[in-house]
Amino acid sequence: MTSPMIPVSSSDAASMAWIVRNLWLIPILPMVASGLIALLPQPRRKPAATLAIGALLISFLLAVTAFAHVLMNWSSGGPTREMVSFDWLTFGSATLQMGWVLDPLAAIMLVMVTFVGSLIFIYSTGYMSHDENFTRFFCFLALFAGGMLGVLIANSLLLLFMCWEIVGLTSYLLIGFWYHKPSAAAAAKKAFLTTRVGDIFFLLGMVWLFAQTGTLLFYNHGAGAIEPTALATLLGHHAAWGLSAAGAIGLLIFAGAAGKSGQLPLHVWLPDAMEGPTPVSALIHAATMVAAGVYLVARVYPLMSAGAGPGTTTASLTVVAWVGAATALFGALVAVAQFDIKRILAYSTVSQLGYMMVGLATGGVAVGIFHLITHAFFKALLFLGAGSVIHGCHEEQDIRRMGGLRAQMPITFAAYTVGMLALSGFPIFFSGFWSKDAIVGAAHHWPVSQGPFWMLLLGALLTAFYMMRQVGYVFLGSWRGHGHAHESPAVMTIPLLVLAFFAIALGVLGTPAWPWFTAFLDGHSLVFDLAGFREPGLVPMMLLASTLVFVALGVGWRLYVAQANRADTDPDVLQRVSPRVFGWLESRLYFDELYQATILRAYALLAAFAAWLDRQFWGGIVASISSGFRALGRCNRSMDSQWIDGGFDKGCEELTTAGGVLAWLQAGRAPSYLRTLTIGLLILLAVILMAASITGQVKL
Amino acid sequence: MSTYGNLLAILWPESILEIASLAILVVDLGFMRRASSAARMSVASTLGSFGALTALLWLLMHAGSMTVMGGALVTNASVVAAQVGILILTALVLLLGVSARFTRNPGEYVALVLLATTGMLLVAASRDLLIIFVALELLSLSLYVLSAFSKHSAASSEAALKYYLFGGMSAAFMLFGFSYLYGITGTTRLTAIAASLASASLTPITLVALVLVAVGLGFKVAAVPFHIWAPDTYLGAPTPVAALIASGSKVASFAVLIAVTAALAPAWGWTETLLWMAGTSIVLGNLAALVQSSVRRILAYSAIAHAGYMLLGIAAHTLASDQAVLLYALTYALTTVGAFAVVAIVERDAGSDRLDAFAGLSARSPLLAATLMVFLLSLAGIPPLVGFWVKFQMFASVLRSPLAASWGIGMVILAIAGSAVSLYYYLQVLKRAWVAPAAVSSRLAIQPRELLLLLLIAITVILLGIFPGWLLQWIPMVG
Repeated sequence: MTSPMIPVSSSDAASMAWIVRNLWLIPILPMVASGLIALLPQPRRKPAATLAIGALLISFLLAVTAFAHVLMNWSSGGPTREMVSFDWLTFGSATLQMGWVLDPLAAIMLVMVTFVGSLIFIYSTGYMSHDENFTRFFCFLALFAGGMLGVLIANSLLLLFMCWEIVGLTSYLLIGFWYHKPSAAAAAKKAFLTTRVGDIFFLLGMVWLFAQTGTLLFYNHGAGAIEPTALATLLGHHAAWGLSAAGAIGLLIFAGAAGKSGQLPLHVWLPDAMEGPTPVSALIHAATMVAAGVYLVARVYPLMSAGAGPGTTTASLTVVAWVGAATALFGALVAVAQFDIKRILAYSTVSQLGYMMVGLATGGVAVGIFHLITHAFFKALLFLGAGSVIHGCHEEQDIRRMGGLRAQMPITFAAYTVGMLALSGFPIFFSGFWSKDAIVGAAHHWPVSQGPFWMLLLGALLTAFYMMRQVGYVFLGSWRGHGHAHESPAVMTIPLLVLAFFAIALGVLGTPAWPWFTAFLDGHSLVFDLAGFREPGLVPMMLLASTLVFVALGVGWRLYVAQANRADTDPDVLQRVSPRVFGWLESRLYFDELYQATILRAYALLAAFAAWLDRQFWGGIVASISSGFRALGRCNRSMDSQWIDGGFDKGCEELTTAGGVLAWLQAGRAPSYLRTLTIGLLILLAVILMAASITGQVKL
Repeated sequence: MSTYGNLLAILWPESILEIASLAILVVDLGFMRRASSAARMSVASTLGSFGALTALLWLLMHAGSMTVMGGALVTNASVVAAQVGILILTALVLLLGVSARFTRNPGEYVALVLLATTGMLLVAASRDLLIIFVALELLSLSLYVLSAFSKHSAASSEAALKYYLFGGMSAAFMLFGFSYLYGITGTTRLTAIAASLASASLTPITLVALVLVAVGLGFKVAAVPFHIWAPDTYLGAPTPVAALIASGSKVASFAVLIAVTAALAPAWGWTETLLWMAGTSIVLGNLAALVQSSVRRILAYSAIAHAGYMLLGIAAHTLASDQAVLLYALTYALTTVGAFAVVAIVERDAGSDRLDAFAGLSARSPLLAATLMVFLLSLAGIPPLVGFWVKFQMFASVLRSPLAASWGIGMVILAIAGSAVSLYYYLQVLKRAWVAPAAVSSRLAIQPRELLLLLLIAITVILLGIFPGWLLQWIPMVG
């Protein structure tokens, strides 16, 4: 603190606001709740749900406090980034530090995740009310929330990675929640393994970064890994193929982000992940976890953009932009030809994540994250709406066997329409319009190529089209299903309405006249100025985008509402036009088959080779040794038979005894012993921590 | 001498035990296959106790101070005292178990007992987190297997499984705590940890580490709330094994607990954790023992209470209190071995260890009833038996420690109240033995060797109570 004139954010704990010092409470609360739920016996549904929802609501309040704190600092012109770090591990002369950071990016994400999460938790109590593993579900859900919030506040790539893995684990557990369904178990495995591919690159990037800079902290008063000093070192160090170390590490980290966020070519797991319960699809595979990859890119943005001047960009951002654009277009194309209500939304998520990546790469953090936030709300809305439809139609997911639900499910229909218009980018009134338009505009000004821009425009056209198709199939036309559909209970519809409100209202934060979002994230001041619209090319762009939306909606209406199918066996309109192209799209452009034919087959060959080696080569050695021993053994046979005498009988008896004991253990007493051990440990820990804080030994 | 030479020198007793256990396996499986089960058991047990006594002799002849592996393993007067005690206890357990008929594999049983003893010796001598963990695991794994050794008894398997599940989980927690300690201090040596904790400021993570370490050690000494395994294991395990768990294993665990306390006490929180465990153990152990009808379970709950008293002494953490704890652990273990032997004899006759099985013991075998009285009264802390003297010594050392200024007095009062309560359930057993009429009038079948050993233990308990100076001479101040 040499000069009192410069506002510095200090790591000195005493001078720091309470919320910054205790930011760790936000992720810890859901994690503790998860641990406590794990200790609850299975039938205790109410305490489990109360614990999970209560913990997340408290986290939400804390997140709002943190947000208000940053907002106040911002409006008073103070520093908007504060962090707390501590030494975690010392080995040799190197030290690994961990810590958390509170800045506009983290604050806004914290509020979004805790808010959407709370709504989805509440919705889940209705959706999962008949499931016998209700407590387990909330245990996983709370653990997920803890991990996700940990990702958001981490100021260390390592801490972020740890929480990232927790999130990946819970995603696996929740996709496979109905593990007795083989498809769910397979989907969980696929998700875990596919994201693992990305994570290995991420880990490599992390180790490389540590080797180069000696720290994994993002920000550390100038000594962090993505602050100018370290970036200069990284830029000066050349890796292979003309890349600087910064570019190479950025690409490795992006590979991790691509795995998590379902970017090409690692997107294959995300649509399959819809095997999980619908609230999980809404929370994890639409609103939050899949956005973690986007968030990661935003977090290490200084690293990604290191070396870019005005009018130029970096190698890593170029890759991000192209991958994002390809994903956006691919997802939208495939979504057109799907029949599963959740799969359509899943491909739409893949596509929208691509938009976010392009937004980050071409327009900067604020552009990408704005779409992330608005998307989180309207996609959660759409998924929960889909859940409500599935619930109302007795677990039916095929849109061909729905139709005309507008009458039976009016609230769901209204909310869903809002979500659909927001996702389509319907002009002016819906948040999706403003956030998507910002991305398309940024892509237009991208100095490298106009390719992504055109791909995004085509994607936008398709987005409006497939959403119109879905709404036409599900809510309009005539009922083609079996049985009778009904509206969902209030505990499910009220979260829908809340989300619908935000799907509309969030748009005001990012209009060109009042770009609050950009100003807040970038930390500069904000004025209301209609001149924002007068930026060259902006209004024509908006008109072009709006026209595309109207055209797509109109065509969709014409094809799927005006000439709606009468029976569930009728082929799709597009199928009649071109069965072959439709077939390609319906089979998701054969990505799974491609992986099956290449990577998996290569792997199977490798395994077969290893097995052959094992059997023929090593086995031969073992066989020759063993025959030598067998000869030896024959000499000792008389002795052996004496020794082994009775051994088999005894083994059988012991097995019988052990079986009886195991049956007894299964009656639940041994688990309750272990539960007592854990509860004893927790109580002792609580007592000691409380005593320590009361006597002032440690500050909690 | 080279490092390895030193290592070998310090590990001679352990090596002797290992060699003895292998020799027993060879003799039993190689030459005694055709012999009767009883003969095999007596040969194996005799060889085993011979091995333990050889190791003991070596220890006594080579007593001295030594440190190897940079302080990971030490030997000094207090370590030797604990090791000598452990070896005596093992020999006693083996000799008293000669006529036990729970297994058809006596060689393996005795070999495992010796391996467990090896673990105990190592536990007592280790001063490094890793060695402590490995030694404790060697001890625990041997004891898990031994608990299950009565293969035809479902109770034995149940006891072993519970012991194993509980022990495995506590060991995992403790290892987790060790890893935190390593993370905080950057070392696994106890001395270096003490220095590092004394200079570092306290953080919540340190407290977490301390409590996690307390789980593992609390499990070994059966302190509340990590005690639940004890009643079931004491009840279900074969009697000699239960005696081993209650005696040698306890001595080793308390010895290492003293060493760990020296390392962790500089951090605020360790003493407090110990005190909480001590207080709850004293209260819960004594109260739960009141309602038991099985003598083994009474001994188990009283073991929990005794662990509470000893934890109190450990928490005081002065030279005098450490010495008192070691004395307490050794004499308590000796008395418990005796008590278990009496239970085994009664059980063999009546087929049950319930209180009623003890009815009229004084008429059926006056000498046995007399030794039982000596053991139980010593456990209750009645003068002039050694149990009184060590209890007095320990409470006095707690009151003289700095702890007396804060928690000490209250805890000592609690402990004395607990001992008073404990008299009730010990007397419940003695009432059956001396007052209640016998259901069966036949004389109890006791082998002369057993009676001789029991009398020897009882006389030791009495003599040490009258001449405590002998013990003090033998166990110098812990330094």
